[in-house]
Amino acid sequence: MIDFMVVVLVAAGLVFFLGGGVGILRFPDFYSRLHPAGKLDTSGSVLAMSGLALFVLFPITLESVLTSLKILLIVVIVFLTSPTATHAIVDAGVRAGLEPWQKPGGQAEP
Amino acid sequence: MKLLGFLIVLITGAVLIWATGEFPDWGDPGSPASVHVSPRYIEKTLEETSVPNAVTSVLADYRGFDTMFETTVIFAAGISCFMLLRLFGKERPETLHYRHLLTGLTIRVRRRKQSPEQLEEFEPMDSLWTPHDLILRTLCRFLIPFIQLFALYVIAHGHHSPGGGFQGGVILGASLILLAISQDMQSALKRIPERTLAMLAALGVSVYAGTGALCLVMGSNFLDYAALAGLFRVDPVEARSLGIFLVEVGVGIAVMATMILIYHNLASEGRLDEGL
Repeated sequence: MIDFMVVVLVAAGLVFFLGGGVGILRFPDFYSRLHPAGKLDTSGSVLAMSGLALFVLFPITLESVLTSLKILLIVVIVFLTSPTATHAIVDAGVRAGLEPWQKPGGQAEP
Repeated sequence: MKLLGFLIVLITGAVLIWATGEFPDWGDPGSPASVHVSPRYIEKTLEETSVPNAVTSVLADYRGFDTMFETTVIFAAGISCFMLLRLFGKERPETLHYRHLLTGLTIRVRRRKQSPEQLEEFEPMDSLWTPHDLILRTLCRFLIPFIQLFALYVIAHGHHSPGGGFQGGVILGASLILLAISQDMQSALKRIPERTLAMLAALGVSVYAGTGALCLVMGSNFLDYAALAGLFRVDPVEARSLGIFLVEVGVGIAVMATMILIYHNLASEGRLDEGL
């Protein structure tokens, strides 16, 4: 049962990573590419890492609990740093005067 | 021409791949690298130096000279970066910019006479724009102590796990570079002034060489830490481990100071005013 949950969680994380990778390659411009980059860092890693934390948790001993807590700590650090990094990169793009992509022939922003 | 280059690349690559057939197998115990000194290091490290991590003991003890001059190379890199890039005696520009600390407004002052330098609520700005972002500043403020704590752990725990002076020093230096990026270079320089950085870089190398010279004074070979046993009042095997730790601390200090020195000089083109 635990193994099944681990597989589901890690596989779901990999789906996010795959989608993020495709998004980084396929999206048209700088700003929209940052969106999947930030997404896969956070949601992909929280799923995959919680799967791994669950995997090392059993049988429950002090050591295994500590190991899974350390794995979850990675998630905390990524949740703090990744959105901030994305924010900083977007900020740098705006300050450098990079125009967002618009659909060719689409309605211009008012 | 393109075709010729392509052919040369193909032939060279094919020869290189063909030559790999002569290599010993991966992990082959009979390969030249494994029969010479490696078994001795692997078998004797713990009983000779009481250091569980064989890599650390090989770096800092068995091949202590090598690592000492590596540290010297890093020190030389920092000093030559300073020599090449640092500009002294900058001319004051015609207009100066000041930021009002309470409102965040930027004012421009034309002449020197009116400069509000003596007022507390203004801070001088060296360039028109500086990073002034609340999210970045807060997060870096929160993270930097943890990064530094981790760096100290990497230095002190180098005997048992991957790490040591070089890695720990790089992390320590990176934390201060992060401070210089997220706030500004002036506040980073307020923490560790340039003069102190240069002193620290030299101090790190001196700690390493001094530990070696101390062994010489105690009547043994250079960098033979067993001679320090009488000084620390431990047995000679334990003294080797302590000697390695001292040396690692020296490496850490030198690497940290050199990293920051190189960053400051590169990022501000040697003026050390504002940075990127």
